[in-house]
Amino acid sequence: MLRMTNLSKVYRTHMIETHALRGFEIDVREGEFVTVTGPSGSGKTSFLNIAGLLEEFTSGDYILDGVNVKGLDDNARSRLRNEKLGFIFQGFNLIPDLNLFDNVDVPLRYRGFNAAERKRRIEDALAKVGLASRMKHYPAELSGGQQQRVAIARALAGSPRLLLADEPTGNLDTQMARGVMELLEEINAAGTTILMVTHDPELAVRTTRNVHIIDGQVSDLVRKGPSLVNPVATAAATA
Amino acid sequence: MLAYYFRLGLRSLRRNPLLTALMVLTLAVGVAASVSTLTILHMMSGDPIPEKSNRLLVPRFDNGPLDGWAPGDEPSDVQMSYPDVANLLKSGQGERRTALFGIAGPLEPPRKDMPAFVADGMAPTRDFFAMFDVPFLHGQPWSEADDARAADVVVLGRAMAEKLFGDADPVGRQLRLMGTPFTVAGVVDHWNPRPRYYKLVGGNTFGDADDFFIPFTTAIRHEADNNGGMSCSSKREPGYAGLLASECTWLQFWFEARSAADRSDLQAWLDNYAGEQRKLGRFQRKVPARLYDVMEWMEELKIVGNDNKLSVWLAFGFLALCLVNTIGLLLAKFSVRASEIGVRRALGASRREIFRQFLIETGVIGLTGGVLGLVLAFGALALIGMQGKEVAAMARMDWQMLAMTFVLSVAAAVLAGLLPTWRACQVTPAIQLKSQ
Repeated sequence: MLRMTNLSKVYRTHMIETHALRGFEIDVREGEFVTVTGPSGSGKTSFLNIAGLLEEFTSGDYILDGVNVKGLDDNARSRLRNEKLGFIFQGFNLIPDLNLFDNVDVPLRYRGFNAAERKRRIEDALAKVGLASRMKHYPAELSGGQQQRVAIARALAGSPRLLLADEPTGNLDTQMARGVMELLEEINAAGTTILMVTHDPELAVRTTRNVHIIDGQVSDLVRKGPSLVNPVATAAATA
Repeated sequence: MLAYYFRLGLRSLRRNPLLTALMVLTLAVGVAASVSTLTILHMMSGDPIPEKSNRLLVPRFDNGPLDGWAPGDEPSDVQMSYPDVANLLKSGQGERRTALFGIAGPLEPPRKDMPAFVADGMAPTRDFFAMFDVPFLHGQPWSEADDARAADVVVLGRAMAEKLFGDADPVGRQLRLMGTPFTVAGVVDHWNPRPRYYKLVGGNTFGDADDFFIPFTTAIRHEADNNGGMSCSSKREPGYAGLLASECTWLQFWFEARSAADRSDLQAWLDNYAGEQRKLGRFQRKVPARLYDVMEWMEELKIVGNDNKLSVWLAFGFLALCLVNTIGLLLAKFSVRASEIGVRRALGASRREIFRQFLIETGVIGLTGGVLGLVLAFGALALIGMQGKEVAAMARMDWQMLAMTFVLSVAAAVLAGLLPTWRACQVTPAIQLKSQ
């Protein structure tokens, strides 16, 4: 589904070169629910932005659902983003002066679906997140958890192959966070691949796999429960 | 997508209402200033008879004395002497011909309850009415025979006919003009082109329609005084006969060519005529005969003054200032939309789509500015029109200027929106999405 090989990302200013990612390797298979963890400044956000085609990488290769994205122009990247990816952000990022229906409608407009198809998809997506009765409401009229559900509906409406979530529960209280996480698990169980950046070790252990990033590289450490372990060392000790 | 963006544009008018109102007002004021001055220029300089303006031609000779003339000097007179007019009328050149001059005389209404008054008219040939597409409400122009025998027939303007006869058809009725009974041959329908391009010399260029028309030959027979300008650069014998025999210039003349291509033939004939007159000693100056079509004649006589053109330039300069302000306001308006742009980009909008969306939004602002600008332009034209009757005639907006208002407003808004829209497209979505 998503494969990055020897990928690097360098931010350059007049004076400084910052290596956000270096020799980055990852392979996410279809149907996986992968969490990405790591300390601040480790390169998680750069990785997610590159994975979401929101930023270009400096070198290496990135294959998204069989498409090599290297060298694609803005139009092709935008089309790929629209057709294959869904985004869920920490800050929900709903457009405040559009009602829920119109918010979910945004990616479908860029896809070029006709009005009937858009309506069907919007109603299905909002029903899936339990907000079908509030289509004409505006984001400001909803709680944080409900807003995040709308964002999930918006991400799902286009039937993406891969859902990218950037700390989707970061702005929610525990109860709302649990609800959102359960919803994501349902979506994954229905077949959608999910890649989620999180700081929360509780969430990381609930997913198929955890990728830990340190200094712009995937660490050998993987999370099993609330603490990090080295799988190689653990295997040797067990033997 | 265009309809979707248009709806988003309408919705965005409600966002930052103060900023939007400022932009719309700024655009509207600039557009109103430009459109109102442009309207007056348009009314003054537009082609008054586009279907044949290149076939209606004014000849011009220089029959002045050698005194005070140097080779290369342009002819100073814009009218013609009677001998030249008489020769041109007899020439048979062109499809139609007319001489004309303004006349004014006492008119005694047939109604006894109405006192005599002075009416303004014109003395052309029968061809005049066909040459300038003059519409008739009743009757028709006088006949060629009337021209030939200088008959006492009159064609009335519609306003004058209604004043004298009410709604009745007055054809065949009589009235006394310049002390002589005239028979009404016809009534001209509403016809008052502005400027009165067929008679640009002698004032009243933007004035009211003529009260009446009588045959040129009849006016000459009655020794009607010229109600217009006259230039005499050499001595003349006294009396009307002296005027007719003199080189004084006081008459205007038009040819109608069969086609624009016939102009060169007419020019050749005029050159030949001028050469003959030079041999006869009448034309002393070696100035070639000139020929002007309607638009060239209006340009030659500077119907549109430099001050009119200057005021249009100034108004467009003001519009440019308004645009600079609008650019600033649009930059402010779009800068607060950076997060929305980031979201749209993440959801699949390309830079091109963002560019289209925001450019259409500026177009919607332009349309709104156009509506307000139109209202302001009507107000400005009404104020300008209060300066006088002639100005009021020019301060009228036709459908072309109406359309121009919207085109100008939208074009101005889109032009002002280019830089802010381009900047909106440069928003880095990743930064905007993270900063939420």
